[in-house]
Amino acid sequence: MEYQKVTDVSATCNGNIVSELTCRTGFAELSIETTKAAVQHFNETSRKEAEDESRLPILEAAYTTILRGLGENTDRQGLLRTPLRAAKAMQFFTKGYHETIYDILNDAIFDEDHEEMVIVKDIDMFSLCEHHLVPFFGKVHIGYLPNKKVVGLSKLARIVEIYSRRLQVQERLTKQIAMAISEALQPAGVAVVIEAAHMCMMMRGVQKMNSRTVTSSMLGSFREDPKTRKEFLTLTKSA
Amino acid sequence: MDRSKQKQLLNQNEKQTTSVVGDSSVNGHFDGMAKMKSRAGLPLAASGETSGQSSGAIESWREERTRSLEDNEMSLPSIASAYTTILRGLGEDPQRQGLLKTPWRAATAMQFFTKGYQEKIIDVLNDAIFDEDHDEMVIVKDIDMFSMCEHHLVPIFGRVHIGYLPNKRVLGLSKLARIVEIYSRRLQVQERLTKQIAVAITEALQPAGVGVVIEATHMCMVMRGVQKMNSKTVTSTMLGVFREDPKTRDEFLTLIRS
Repeated sequence: MEYQKVTDVSATCNGNIVSELTCRTGFAELSIETTKAAVQHFNETSRKEAEDESRLPILEAAYTTILRGLGENTDRQGLLRTPLRAAKAMQFFTKGYHETIYDILNDAIFDEDHEEMVIVKDIDMFSLCEHHLVPFFGKVHIGYLPNKKVVGLSKLARIVEIYSRRLQVQERLTKQIAMAISEALQPAGVAVVIEAAHMCMMMRGVQKMNSRTVTSSMLGSFREDPKTRKEFLTLTKSA
Repeated sequence: MDRSKQKQLLNQNEKQTTSVVGDSSVNGHFDGMAKMKSRAGLPLAASGETSGQSSGAIESWREERTRSLEDNEMSLPSIASAYTTILRGLGEDPQRQGLLKTPWRAATAMQFFTKGYQEKIIDVLNDAIFDEDHDEMVIVKDIDMFSMCEHHLVPIFGRVHIGYLPNKRVLGLSKLARIVEIYSRRLQVQERLTKQIAVAITEALQPAGVGVVIEATHMCMVMRGVQKMNSKTVTSTMLGVFREDPKTRDEFLTLIRS
């Protein structure tokens, strides 16, 4: 039933994943298919690294169509290899689909008798707006109250990387990061705040250069106890 | 659309030959112009674009648009379907709610980011050139600029600072920003962008000198590749007095820094 909750949030990939999960209410119903047997977790990715190379020609052709449709001359020197470069760049910007949480977190969880807040702030984040395919970037601040288990600090930044290198919506990104930490560590509470600038608002549309979008996700004691939340927010406020 | 592009090609080639002759009378002391004249004489490979080649800069005053609003509408479906292909190729599901209309939004956005191809300098300057007896430096600085890297199709953003020494003719101030818009809303390379802005102002006003400095962040360096968050690229073009007289250049650079 936890799984059910999270599917609503993180089923960003194929519809296949969602339907597979609704079958998992009982072992009796579980059907094991060889391709899906490798699935460890609801965060199964829809893309494996080996597939990237094979997809490049399709992406290149698509980018060539786009360049021509925009009225550019694809034979001029500066644009000759642009479809290839743009395809590779786009694959890099969506490499979060390759990776799963358990790949990176498996070994870096430690038992420590620490119950005070741990904060990692000012994690630079770059993502792609799923509505316009234009970047948005900003900073992520993560805090959690460990419950006998702490995680390697860089792993928090890696969690941010996995979820941000996808086609995203800032609200969903914030929630996914919080849920991932929550599931991996079972801490007393998790807080994630993201402050980002959206190029789809800066470069086009309303064209407001200095606007920033702030989203937050508070779970556990950060949600219930206002003082804990306040401490976190004070500590992550940059002077 | 093919026919209109071919017509544009013909027009452009014709205009090139006439403009080379015409431009020989423009202010002789711009080194940049002299170099570009010889390059403009070479036949351009059959290309419909006007922004790419450096010889294109000399025709900025007379350039044909490569794109019209009708072209935009007609090419939108093919660009949108290309984006759908890209979404599938990345492993995403184009049918999920958040992505349903993304191909159209992304195609429209991309057309907006390259709308500089639709506009001409002449239209934008709009007769906003005035005769003023002013020969001190005029600077418009901190003009926000957004462009697209032509190598990775990823945004570039930064600030443009423009200064010029009028020679009896001044330009409406917002027109400087509009010139920046026309040239930046294209698939660009920062060096070429700087030069195109400087040359356009030179051709429009024939001032005693023009200086353009652009300081920009390239997302292709920040988001991928080397991933250096805080790096900035600075390019500049100095024409006329700004190139010849170090004191003028100094004054310009000090004023844009303050």
